[in-house]
Amino acid sequence: MTVQTTQRRSGGGYLERPAPSGLADVVEIILDKGIVIDAYIRVSLVGIELLTIDARIVIASVDTYLRFAEATNRLDLLEQGGGKPLDEFIGNMQESGAGRKVKGAVSGAKKALTGGDDEDEDRERRPAKKSSSRRRSSA
Amino acid sequence: MTSAADVTADDRSSPGPEGPEVGWFVYGVVGAGTPVPQDLTGLDEGPVRTFTCGRVAAVATQIRVERPPGRGVDLLAYHSVLDALAQGDHPVLPVRFGAVVPDEVGIVEEFLAPDEAYFAELLESLAGRSQLMFQAVYDERRILSEIVESEPEIAELRALTKDLPEEAAYAERVRLGELVARAVEARREMDAAALLDEVLPMTDAHVLRPVSGVERVVDAAVLVHDQRRDQFENRLERLAEEHHERMRLRLMGPTAPYDFAGGV
Repeated sequence: MTVQTTQRRSGGGYLERPAPSGLADVVEIILDKGIVIDAYIRVSLVGIELLTIDARIVIASVDTYLRFAEATNRLDLLEQGGGKPLDEFIGNMQESGAGRKVKGAVSGAKKALTGGDDEDEDRERRPAKKSSSRRRSSA
Repeated sequence: MTSAADVTADDRSSPGPEGPEVGWFVYGVVGAGTPVPQDLTGLDEGPVRTFTCGRVAAVATQIRVERPPGRGVDLLAYHSVLDALAQGDHPVLPVRFGAVVPDEVGIVEEFLAPDEAYFAELLESLAGRSQLMFQAVYDERRILSEIVESEPEIAELRALTKDLPEEAAYAERVRLGELVARAVEARREMDAAALLDEVLPMTDAHVLRPVSGVERVVDAAVLVHDQRRDQFENRLERLAEEHHERMRLRLMGPTAPYDFAGGV
């Protein structure tokens, strides 16, 4: 999420208090929210729907698994106890270049839509609890 | 906050941008008499106006409708108007982005009037409460290390695939990803439940948003009573400290009650 993490910090300072900044955050906050007054909506929310679709495409596919695999392989894992051969770490570093490409392509698609950064391309969106969605015939 | 132009349906003096194709973009509903920051502007920098009907008022700006709103700047403007209203002491009921009413009379007589009582009741239920967004995100490196460490099949598949080019060992990669995804999901369920057990009792309402991917643990919109805000934030601060090695906790807001516009 593109957030400024330099905002006010209270107490011990472990809790991040970002302020929503940038389009990706705002879309996430407002998407499909609020009272609906269908009768008057003269505009189609093309931009928003595209975003929703974009986020869903990334979810339900083998690609999701490949991304988990990629994330697992890309990392220099933290050593706990036993220890692993050094060449694993070198391998990791070599892999990371190719790995980022995958993620980059997904972010790129989203960026094209939002014009902003977003690390949440894997996030599933669904319409949140729908608020009053009563329809009236137009005047 | 100073009171902005508070007009009623009788006030039809504003001609707006030239050309007939104008409409009123509605941001939200507030209680009648709610002060609106004087210099508040919305889409296309249009000055914000309020239209009162009984106990409630609509907050709107005039826009040209040849170009449907929906650009990024429009979303940001919408959010910033509602955010500004939410910073005040009075509740605001967000209207979903994209609501455009043809004229002032329509706002009052056709949007507000039929549901005046309903809106007033919703505003009442939101008074003295704020929406906050609470998220927990795994330290990816930490969580994946835990998983590789604790599940031999994953460690094996990882060792097998990680030095191969991307095209190679496709089936093994998919299998690895599937196992890791499941392992993350299992941990997420446990960690999320533990966090929510601590946090939700201090909220008046909550909406959990689905999370997926490697990092997200919890994504929740919560409605917190103003009198419990400090307690709530202190609890989160304590949790953030407790868990900081495995995950980061974030708190955003207060925002307008986007997730609770349908009532609590």
